[in-house]
Amino acid sequence: MKRRILSYLLTLWIVLTVNFLLPRLLPGDPLAALLDPESSDYVFDAEVRAALEAYYGLDRPLSEQYGRYLLGALTGDLGRSIRLNQPVGELIRTHLPWTLLLTGTGLVLASLLGLWGGAEAAWRRGTWSDRALVTAGVVAGNAPVYFVGMVLLILFGVRLGWLPLAGGRTPFAHYDTLLAAVADVGKHLFLPALTLILALVGGKFLLVRSNVVSVLGEDFMLVARAKGLPTGRLKWRHALRNALLPFVAHLAAHASMAITGAVFIETLFNYPGMGRLIFEAVGARDYPVIQGVFLVVSTVVLTANMLADVLNTRLDPRLREE
Amino acid sequence: MGRRVHLGSDLVFGLTVLALFVATALLASALAPYDPHAFSGQSLERPSPAHPLGTNDAGQDILSELVYGARISLAVALGAAAGTVALGTLVGGVAGYLGGWLDGLLMRLVDVVLTLPRLPLLILLTAFLGSGLAQTTAVIALLFWPASARVIRAQVQSVRRRGYVRMARNFGGGPGYVLRRHILPQIGPLIVSGLVTAAGQAVAMEAGLAFLGLGDPTAKSWGLMMRFALNLPGLLLTDRWLWWLLPPGLCVTLLILALTFTGMGLENYLHPRLRRL
Repeated sequence: MKRRILSYLLTLWIVLTVNFLLPRLLPGDPLAALLDPESSDYVFDAEVRAALEAYYGLDRPLSEQYGRYLLGALTGDLGRSIRLNQPVGELIRTHLPWTLLLTGTGLVLASLLGLWGGAEAAWRRGTWSDRALVTAGVVAGNAPVYFVGMVLLILFGVRLGWLPLAGGRTPFAHYDTLLAAVADVGKHLFLPALTLILALVGGKFLLVRSNVVSVLGEDFMLVARAKGLPTGRLKWRHALRNALLPFVAHLAAHASMAITGAVFIETLFNYPGMGRLIFEAVGARDYPVIQGVFLVVSTVVLTANMLADVLNTRLDPRLREE
Repeated sequence: MGRRVHLGSDLVFGLTVLALFVATALLASALAPYDPHAFSGQSLERPSPAHPLGTNDAGQDILSELVYGARISLAVALGAAAGTVALGTLVGGVAGYLGGWLDGLLMRLVDVVLTLPRLPLLILLTAFLGSGLAQTTAVIALLFWPASARVIRAQVQSVRRRGYVRMARNFGGGPGYVLRRHILPQIGPLIVSGLVTAAGQAVAMEAGLAFLGLGDPTAKSWGLMMRFALNLPGLLLTDRWLWWLLPPGLCVTLLILALTFTGMGLENYLHPRLRRL
């Protein structure tokens, strides 16, 4: 376990360093938007440009920038957004809850659906309904999430007009009750979350199904059946429970997939989360924001991976000996 | 008497659709009614005999864009898949065959790249390294090789321990001879199915990056078509999306699914013992 944690710390350091170096390899400096004659933010004065560079620390030697960056990252000081002139930490605080709401909803519902569907399909393996579910799972898991989202948006948002097209809530809305606020946020969440669930559920379903199928061949299942246990108990308590372990191991990988999906979904639905924040920052070459978001997202993914490792060694004593 | 070969419906579907896309890409100049960059009509024409899928906002023929788009998707898929599998085979082969500290080092590297959040890193790299097709291809290969390296390493390790390989080495077979003669035939099927899987991921990523506006702005790819269509104000309020937005989206999806099913079918066909229950 010590080696595992060390390996995660090493990964984190590499992430930090890559994150520092990459923006500096970019042709054109971070102030290019402010200094481009074509841009509306153009700053004419050479002295002002020098002052700006000094203010953002870009005129210092690389090693000093690196030291300040590491120190800032460790103390939670991520600098200021050049484009929005706001602390990056504050931008992340306003955007992160939306992403967590979206990916959290997506992960939980997709997991439940995948577990239930996977167990049911494995139970009736080989029948036409199983085959149809497997094909549907492969299609849902591999269809590009931006296209699925687009079709849902057009169908439910535009054609039927049942759901809002974009955003996390109604702009300038004033809520009289908490319930009204929840209803509005929920209505905006529905389509993005549905898209994410569709993207995640395919892989989870296929995984659970193949695990349950292999459990079904075990001796203890035969014994349980011979004891005359009712089908429901066999299916849920014996088969599914033993297939849970590999499922947990894959949850971390799915957590990072949820974030991947969220970048496309947030861009498509104009959802005010981290994915859209990093995307807009890249467009504007807003270094501090890109670095900050990438850092937070990487840390979240790494922590999820580590937690899954710990959880798995708890669940399966055999892993502890390695 | 020939052996009866049962390909399976996954493989038949996948290969058929894939062949259609490849034929479209190869014959693009004969199939497309116009040059996709030529302004061959009025802006935003509805479908007509002259323009079966209408024209885009710049007056370019959408069907021609769609046909030529197959070239871009397949070229990036081929390049990125070849890069992914080459890197993966090299790293996995070296680590698995030589073992020792080099194995430890390379596998740490694999762990690190696998734990990095892929899409944000992909966006970061594309934004900083440039958005030409060559860069997109290289960036995808750079981020996707570790999974393939793991698979290859495991197989090389297991083959290396087998009796006949040990025997060959004891009789003085050098690494080059053993690799070519004994190891390569055993990892060949893995390389083939790895190529197809990687190609599917590359198609999804290339179109996704172009859709986000991080692709080559001069290459008329399916992702870029979707982006331009969605950027037209009020596109969804008319039925214009039916012939402008839907076809490229369907093409991307169909190509990815064809590659996925081909990969699944190949796995079953080449590794009957691994066949999913």
